[in-house]
Amino acid sequence: MISMGREDFIELYESLGSSVTGDEVTPKAIRVNPLKTVDQELVDILADQDVELEKIPFLDHGYKIVSSPFSLGASIEYLLGYYSLQETASQLPVQMLSPSSEDRVLDMAAAPGGKTTQIAAYMGNQGSVTAIDINRRRLFALENQVERTGVKNTIVYNLDALELPDEPLFTKVLLDAPCSGNYVTDGRWFDNRTKSHIKSNSLMQRRLIAKAINLLEKGGTLLYSTCSLEPEENELNVQWMLENYDMKIQDIDCPGTPALTNVFLDELDASVSKCRRLWPNDVGSQGFFIAKAVKQ
Amino acid sequence: MRLLTRFLSQIGSEYRPDEIWKSNNLRFTDPIEPVFPKDKIVYNGYYIGQNKKWFQPSSLLLQKLGAEDGTRKAYIGREAAWLFVVGRDVFEDNVQAFTENVELGNYCLVMFGTDCIGYGRYETSGKLKVIKNIFDLGDFLRRE
Repeated sequence: MISMGREDFIELYESLGSSVTGDEVTPKAIRVNPLKTVDQELVDILADQDVELEKIPFLDHGYKIVSSPFSLGASIEYLLGYYSLQETASQLPVQMLSPSSEDRVLDMAAAPGGKTTQIAAYMGNQGSVTAIDINRRRLFALENQVERTGVKNTIVYNLDALELPDEPLFTKVLLDAPCSGNYVTDGRWFDNRTKSHIKSNSLMQRRLIAKAINLLEKGGTLLYSTCSLEPEENELNVQWMLENYDMKIQDIDCPGTPALTNVFLDELDASVSKCRRLWPNDVGSQGFFIAKAVKQ
Repeated sequence: MRLLTRFLSQIGSEYRPDEIWKSNNLRFTDPIEPVFPKDKIVYNGYYIGQNKKWFQPSSLLLQKLGAEDGTRKAYIGREAAWLFVVGRDVFEDNVQAFTENVELGNYCLVMFGTDCIGYGRYETSGKLKVIKNIFDLGDFLRRE
């Protein structure tokens, strides 16, 4: 097992072109639920209760919580599903996938459901969302989120995504993959991560990517994302996908930095740069990686 | 269906869902056509509530009933609404208005503006009249 400490990771990130310090934090944020309200109405209701919000310019319905005299996870408006607590970067994958009312969407690692409910909101509660997760306990949280936010177009399965049949059933797949995470949202991250964890996650992610592609119809869109900063879980997985499947990377209108095309001395396909890497000091979010690809 | 129908009648609703899809004690309508094994489904479509000793309505069903003309309703302000969602009863003095069909002994939806935040029974408690809290949306927090 190759052990790496905080300094090693920061040095690695510097070698990849970043100037992160390891001390970045992400502000708390909410996502307004258009199935229940409109942005300005909610902003006004919360302002009347002395809650100060600030629009996050690159998010459709995302607001930074500047100050609040109470927990926004326990207000009447929260219980009514007017909004959800959702970190800035984690609002981007669904926005980039941009599902519509005509789609049949698969959310492959869906619990605890923040992105599932966001998908349903983009679809206006039309079409269908199939949400899968292997962990039954985490699915209870997803069910609560789906109910609270007024979602009606979603079917939820307690299944291992790797056991799904290889049938092209979906027009869009969100694979927000289980990953190594990042230090912004996990205070002990540097103490708990090794290169072997990262390698093991990368291999699992490749199996999930392969399954996602098999479940997509031709012309369908895969949105692959992680909250990891490690190239093995991001650019190198996208390169592996391009080498093994007939997929084409799409441009995305997303903040952050173009993904790396030269990693650990390997030259990657130039189209990998269309993916986006969010370093924690880019836009004030946790670390994130987003790739959008179409099945040919 | 019996518990659901009883609840809907108590609240003064004429809504009767056409098709009920069941998963253990959970009840749904308008289910999505399954593409994976049916025995692995844990939630499907429009969740209307669950059978316990009584029918516990979902938030979705409460909103639908709150928007329906003819259901029994009591309207309350923010302060009373907050107390209600943390499990408290509503004193009659804190009710801004009742719909005309609410009488002592009736079940009624508890409304905060146009949103339904739960339901209860309008009854006497000692010398006071209250809406006894039976179910409120604070249940989401208590579940987690």
